[in-house]
Amino acid sequence: MNSVWSRFNIVSVVLGFAFLYTPIVLLVIYSFNESKLVTVWAGFSTKWYVEMLNNRGLLDAAWVTAQVAFLSATVATVLGTMAAVVLTRHMRFRGRVLFTGMIYAPLVMPDVITGLSLLLLFVAMGLGRGFLTVTLAHITFSMCFVAVVVQSRLLTFDRSLEEAAMDLGAPPLRTFLQITLPVILPAVVSGWMLAFTLSLDDLVIASFASGPGATTLPMKIYSQVRLGVTPEINAVCTILIAIVTLGVIAASLVNKRREVQRLRDEQSAAR
Amino acid sequence: MGSLGSIRRTFSPWTDPDAPAHIRFENITKNFGDFTAVNNLSLTIYEREFFALLGASGCGKSTLLRMLAGFEDPTAGRILLDGQDLAGIPPYRRPVNMMFQSYALFPHMTVAQNIAFGLRQDRMPKAEIEKRVGEMLRLVKLEGYEKRKPHQLSGGQRQRVALARSVAKRPKVLLLDEPLGALDKKLREETQFELMDLQQDLGLTFVVVTHDQEEAMTMADRIAVMNHGEICQVATPAEVYEAPASRFVADFIGNVNIFDGIVTDRDDTGIMMVADGGFEIQASNPGKTEKGHQASFAIRPEKIRISAEAPRSPDVNHISGEVWDIAYLGDMTVFHVRLDSGKIIRATTINDARTTEAALTWEDRAWISFSPDAGVVLTA
Repeated sequence: MNSVWSRFNIVSVVLGFAFLYTPIVLLVIYSFNESKLVTVWAGFSTKWYVEMLNNRGLLDAAWVTAQVAFLSATVATVLGTMAAVVLTRHMRFRGRVLFTGMIYAPLVMPDVITGLSLLLLFVAMGLGRGFLTVTLAHITFSMCFVAVVVQSRLLTFDRSLEEAAMDLGAPPLRTFLQITLPVILPAVVSGWMLAFTLSLDDLVIASFASGPGATTLPMKIYSQVRLGVTPEINAVCTILIAIVTLGVIAASLVNKRREVQRLRDEQSAAR
Repeated sequence: MGSLGSIRRTFSPWTDPDAPAHIRFENITKNFGDFTAVNNLSLTIYEREFFALLGASGCGKSTLLRMLAGFEDPTAGRILLDGQDLAGIPPYRRPVNMMFQSYALFPHMTVAQNIAFGLRQDRMPKAEIEKRVGEMLRLVKLEGYEKRKPHQLSGGQRQRVALARSVAKRPKVLLLDEPLGALDKKLREETQFELMDLQQDLGLTFVVVTHDQEEAMTMADRIAVMNHGEICQVATPAEVYEAPASRFVADFIGNVNIFDGIVTDRDDTGIMMVADGGFEIQASNPGKTEKGHQASFAIRPEKIRISAEAPRSPDVNHISGEVWDIAYLGDMTVFHVRLDSGKIIRATTINDARTTEAALTWEDRAWISFSPDAGVVLTA
């Protein structure tokens, strides 16, 4: 490895990271702006955070979003895991290729189309748009992501573990709950987290599927921005960024720790 | 065949026509699509037998084992265990347990939890489970390791845990799929003897699948040599080695020299045949040969004598050639002798003295000789 930083290297790194993070850094800085005008700096202040906490509409939207995300991620994880198990386990049923393709298709489907088709379905079924419909819509599209994540884990799963469990007297369901699920749990959890984040930041599908009384945070932010960007919105976004960053750091710390522990165990076993 | 090899056996239920069959495969066929893995195979295994299924990969031996465990259903035929048809009985209700080639230890459970898994499925009382787990750990010499996870163990220790887990339920039959395949040579040899002792102590029937002929010869009471989904021969290790039923078996187990020729004379006590280069061979077991037909004479390298001068006795088969290669292996020396017909013959001598003047060296003329009963006549 080259330990000397050439001028070219420094320039590329600075440019690359500037491209990625300038907008976010600007947003965070202006959330502490004294002025009401977003683009004019008038000194440091935390007043927009106080303002945000007093904004009933924003807090309600945040609460709705959290509920929708939690519920839809949980249901999507159950359904997605089941789909992944069937698709990887039962190798020889008719139309397996078709079903696998159909699981992947919604991943590349434009959100507008998914949202519109769900809207048409809900209208045809006579379902009033609100909390239920937006949750259902989020389950529908995030389930595929869970299925893909879990399926890729199952492909490398040693089937003889399941056979050993059955051989020792565990019927299929108990084998799944006691052996398969614990082993693939990390993939299931990351599937859940993926579904949760997808639901958290979805705007397009929510705008189609949601109705009055179930406004999600992204919808609320979008509608407020149309009336003009206020530093209050910046404050909300800064908090969201903080939450996501903390989550990512925590997850990678846990992973790193487990990896180090595992390495140490394996070395002590080899001795 | 009487007394082949040097081991006197007291356990030989297969010679007793009244001995009850423990496991019976009856006309078993297994197809995977167009591929026939097992072809109309019948086989009987007796109680407390250490039985080895031996063959190259893809010969159907693992499929046979998996059908016994219940992971595959036979396409045709039936499998009986103590007279009971196993068809339709799922793996989790069969009184057989299997030790997997990959060991298949549950990575999220400790050693003790792995061993207890099967017992917990049977709802055994907790105190009894603990007692049995302790017994099993003692049996495989892993006391003090019960709290470890599989990835904290060495390869040999994992193999022991897998073994303990598969015998913990005291199955009627223990199936072992390449049980020593992942161990290094030294550990493998030790473990072979440990497995034999364990089988004696527990009094279980062991069915082991292996591609390693040495492993099968060491451990098994009887060996079934398999090829292309069929059984070529079922016999004791000594019979398989000294009286192979076909060229395939003779070639698969150990080293062998095969002379092909035409039978020129035959009676009940032996045959005369002429092989390549006019080499006349006298054999004392006529087999199923017919006068004027093709036959082969198979002889093991250690049964051939090699000398610098022609043997004095006219009764032994002998032919001369050129010493082509010599390999000194410590306990023995391997000679490759090239006959005038171009055929290379392998002969071994035991080095039972530390210092002997080598009588033969490269490119010397040498005589090889063997008595009429040293080899076996094959027609298949």
